Amino acid sequence: MTSAVETRSARTPRLSVNAPLLLLVVSIALYVVVAVATRQTMMLHVDGIVGLLQRMVGLGIVAIGQTFAIVAGSIDLSVANLISVAAVLASFIMQGRPEMMLPAVAAVLAISAVVGVVNGALISRLKVNPLIATLGVGLVLQGLLSASFTNFAGSVPAEFQAVAYGALGPAPYSVIGLFALALLASFVLRATKFGAHLYAVGGNAEGARLAGIRTGLVTVGAHVVCSLCAGLTGLYLASRLRSGAPWVGRDGVYDLESIAVVVIGGTLLAGGRGGVWGTLAGVLLFAALDASFNMLGVSAYPKLVLRGAIVIAAVAVYTFRSRDLVA
Amino acid sequence: MAQSGPLALEMVQITKSFPGVRALDDVTFACAKGEVHALCGENGAGKSTLIKILGGANQPDAGRILLDGREVSFAHPVASRAAGVSVIHQELSLLPFRTVAENIFLGVEPTRYGLLDRPRMRTESERLLRRLGVSIPTGAQAGELSVAQQQVVEIAKALALDARIVVMDEPTAALERTEATQLIALVKRLSAEGVTIIYVSHRMPEIQAVADRVTVLKDGRTVMTATIAEAPTARLVRAMVGRDLADFYPLPAAKPPGEPALSIRGGANASLSGVDLVVRSAEIVGVAGLEGSGKSELGRAIAGDEPFERGTMEIGGKPTAPRRPREAIEAGIGRLAEDRKREGLLMQQSLRDNATLTQRAFAPWLGRPFSEPMTTRRTDERLRQLDVRALSFEQEARQLSGGNQQKVILSRWLARNPPVLVFAEPTRGVDVAAKAQIYKIMRELADEGRAILMISSDLLEIVGVSDRIIVMREGRIAGELQRGASEEEIMALAVAHDERTEAVAP
Repeated sequence: MTSAVETRSARTPRLSVNAPLLLLVVSIALYVVVAVATRQTMMLHVDGIVGLLQRMVGLGIVAIGQTFAIVAGSIDLSVANLISVAAVLASFIMQGRPEMMLPAVAAVLAISAVVGVVNGALISRLKVNPLIATLGVGLVLQGLLSASFTNFAGSVPAEFQAVAYGALGPAPYSVIGLFALALLASFVLRATKFGAHLYAVGGNAEGARLAGIRTGLVTVGAHVVCSLCAGLTGLYLASRLRSGAPWVGRDGVYDLESIAVVVIGGTLLAGGRGGVWGTLAGVLLFAALDASFNMLGVSAYPKLVLRGAIVIAAVAVYTFRSRDLVA
Repeated sequence: MAQSGPLALEMVQITKSFPGVRALDDVTFACAKGEVHALCGENGAGKSTLIKILGGANQPDAGRILLDGREVSFAHPVASRAAGVSVIHQELSLLPFRTVAENIFLGVEPTRYGLLDRPRMRTESERLLRRLGVSIPTGAQAGELSVAQQQVVEIAKALALDARIVVMDEPTAALERTEATQLIALVKRLSAEGVTIIYVSHRMPEIQAVADRVTVLKDGRTVMTATIAEAPTARLVRAMVGRDLADFYPLPAAKPPGEPALSIRGGANASLSGVDLVVRSAEIVGVAGLEGSGKSELGRAIAGDEPFERGTMEIGGKPTAPRRPREAIEAGIGRLAEDRKREGLLMQQSLRDNATLTQRAFAPWLGRPFSEPMTTRRTDERLRQLDVRALSFEQEARQLSGGNQQKVILSRWLARNPPVLVFAEPTRGVDVAAKAQIYKIMRELADEGRAILMISSDLLEIVGVSDRIIVMREGRIAGELQRGASEEEIMALAVAHDERTEAVAP
């Protein structure tokens, strides 16, 4: 019996690890092949690789948060707008003064947490459909922001720009931060009670409720995590752009792209299954795609077509596989 | 019965009303420690309300609940669970993508330094499963388990909470016979350990096999509580339905069967091979077999859902080879699917909408709308003929009992007037009275000259209703029996030679 237990438990993670691994291989292969084919082999040196990883940071952080929302059976369409709010607020509060960095970060995280609580409460208390609730909250945020700011507002001090431009040896702080955040997120999902309850609520909300789990709190928790991640992305963008403008989130299409990479990474859109590493692999694929198209010197639009095709293919493949699993 | 010490559970003079219905009227229900107490009654008799009150999902308007002689009140399911009451619902609530151990400890995860204590979850789960006498790998995903294994995991979940009272709602509804037998052994084992079991079921043989005592509810009142020795099946059914079992199964066919309406020769696909089958007009052919024998697949093949890939098929002498359900329907086949909720009904739509679904599928694009009085009148007529009981035909399908839902689906097919009808598990989850009614309707449809193929896992039903019985095994027809064959003869064919020692665990 012990052997049966081991073979089974060895098999269980494999199903979910498979997808990230495959994506990783595909992304690397794509990147290497394009670099070699276009004779831009310097892209394969440390600087090129670091550049590739740096492309992942902005989308990566939001997508980690989005993973929490989707695993819990919800979804968050307000992240792009919240990112803009965070970026503008940060640079507006800082006004180039280093001593305002801490208050600005604190304010951004506090506001993000509040947005998460509002999203979660609308969904779990008022039973508003998550798509509609977060879409509405996103529109409200964008409206307030656009009414107050029309252009770049304030600026961030040089010290804060270090977040995006500083590095520890060859590794930029931002890349280190992204992977540290991913480690933390994966630990929360895997090893904590909150993580287990996220999967339970996403898998079967009614069953979880009857098992005594306070499903409302879990949903709120998922959205707070998601919004905090969006806030972090906003801070990162403010640092990279040296200031915040009310369109930075929308221009990055962070709402739809974060959902796309989560799904590509093997997280079930209906909830209850998935994880952070898959999401990150999805982000890497998008980053590799971006970098490759740049190397090829192709315009941005065919890239969109390819991204769309990848999302559709990923969902189709997962649906097919999970049907096999059930049968 | 002589009692030593207080009863494990007493529910005294419980009354509960919902708008327009008095669901429970002064019901008293008591269980001794360690007994298996069967709770029977037709749908709507009040069983589920009683269980919901015990489980804390509903609160009684009046009455008291005592556990081990102490009065308790459950404001919420969590309170009832904390007091040692576990309800295992008919629709299992396991998380398919989480492991067995994670499911067993759902909501009561042990922690160490604030983190999940996985080693302990695993060893404790293994201990619980051993206590139940089964070995299921605790690291397996719940979705990979068989229904029987999932059922066991649900029971382990209850034990993880130290439940002293376990309510099982139709636990064998989705199980095969051997699996059901094993579950019953498991229930006995639990009761021997002192766990009190409230066993809700429609299946009479099972109740006779498992229960120590039985309580029958009818129209929200207790009509009988007796030891099982004093309550043979006939008496139980009379108490539930208020009439005798004699007219439970319909009379045999009034006239000999006519011409072949459906004939299949050499039908084969991925799950079927060499199927030769003839169903004549005015006859009911029962198809029996274990799970995985191919009996469900046969129904799906005929209806073009998972079509035959080889062989020939004729309807009323005309060759046909339906590749999808629409083509089968055009050829004159109607199929009532096994899983009403998933494959049959539009749960949130009205009875009328459900009853006209097939008709609408074949209506011309630019036809007159279906709500026009003429069509509605015909639809209503059919629904009334089948004795569909609802507050109004505009009611949503999900609000109806299983029997009435089945009748709505049948009326959808009758609108097309097909010569061949395939009934898959026609009375699954249907109460006793409605069962008798459905059998009667099937017989009437056959007498009108239709050919009926009835695929069923319920051997009593196969024996009681069929004019002829086909037994399937491993995707083939294992044999044919005439009306009056016994359950034993059917089982012998269903399992022949292949020594299946199907345990609950692999």
